[in-house]
Amino acid sequence: MQPFTLNYARPAVQLDVTVPYAYDSGLQLNVLPDGRIAATDHATLRALGTTTSTAGSKTHFDD
Amino acid sequence: MTVLILTSEEDVTADMVVLRLGEAGVPVVRLDPADLTNGVALSGEYARGACRGRLSVGGRLVDMDGLRSVWLRRPGTAAARAAQPSAWLTEESAQALYGMLRCTGARWMNHPDAARRARYKPWQLRLAQRAGLPVPDTLITTFPQAAREFAGRHPDLVVKPVSGAHPQEPPRAVPTSRVAPDTDFTAVAYGPTLLQRRVPKRADIRLTAVGGTLLAARKPVAPDAHPDDVDVRFAPSNAPWAPAPVPPPVAEGVLRYLRGAELAYGAFDFAEDAEGVWWFLECNQSGQFGFVEMDTGQPIAATIADWLAGSGSPQAGLLDDEEFSGF
Repeated sequence: MQPFTLNYARPAVQLDVTVPYAYDSGLQLNVLPDGRIAATDHATLRALGTTTSTAGSKTHFDD
Repeated sequence: MTVLILTSEEDVTADMVVLRLGEAGVPVVRLDPADLTNGVALSGEYARGACRGRLSVGGRLVDMDGLRSVWLRRPGTAAARAAQPSAWLTEESAQALYGMLRCTGARWMNHPDAARRARYKPWQLRLAQRAGLPVPDTLITTFPQAAREFAGRHPDLVVKPVSGAHPQEPPRAVPTSRVAPDTDFTAVAYGPTLLQRRVPKRADIRLTAVGGTLLAARKPVAPDAHPDDVDVRFAPSNAPWAPAPVPPPVAEGVLRYLRGAELAYGAFDFAEDAEGVWWFLECNQSGQFGFVEMDTGQPIAATIADWLAGSGSPQAGLLDDEEFSGF
């Protein structure tokens, strides 16, 4: 009784990545431990894939 | 005049826009509706024929009349992090927040009503057709026989979720997948199934539209790519996205689409075939853009910031087309 589309499902990749930045409510920005703005560190963002179009988002399905 | 950004704290893509607004000296208030009653507060008074609302977060207080724009980016569920969350409190909080924001003269990227409608992919396909964008032949059905007949006419098919959502218990992903020619379609009866003619593509296109500004990026398919690797999000490719010119007919179609959908922002996915035709796949009304900007250097965040900081018609720059009124 499984819908046809689910025949093509695969386990979601669980991204248990701990982001190295934290939200600063004063700046309204995420900040790295050394004080730099996370959004300016493209190497970190690429490594984490946090700005990427990804399938399987739990909260947002239009990436 | 302040820009209000509704999104989660961890939304680092939104940070890219907050930075640009800060550089331009535009006041910003950022909050997550999930924090309502636990860090975020609101108040609205209706008296003497007028309405006055206020929002507060992190020591910032903003008068809703002082909002120039609202960026509905990736907000959490209202009051989800309240001390005692409940479905009732979520509904109360969402009604209060979005109801009062609707009373303001601020322009939206994107308006909640337009955003909700724009998520319906079957509706997207029809709007794209009406906008003059090429749409691959598609069938959405629970009739197994209709699926078999469609497969007979289109032997090379893909299947993908109608909603774009992925099952969560347990967490699974459903990429756009190729359907084998001898497939049994009986299970189509157990859930709406979206089948689409596969476009043999030579590149994926992500076109980010901000108001009337169109920024397209192209990722070529590797010559040795397997034809089963249909979904760019899952395909093993290290090729970067590169800026691409938008063919004028596509630009006209995209602008018609935005106007018909009443969207100020949209991230369009196309498949480019061997003849260079861009086939419409979908439009994500809140699609990611950071990965494109980092690869291409295109000023997407700055363009969004300019739009949020600007004034005038929410759809300035878009084609005027009465054909879409009421669609």
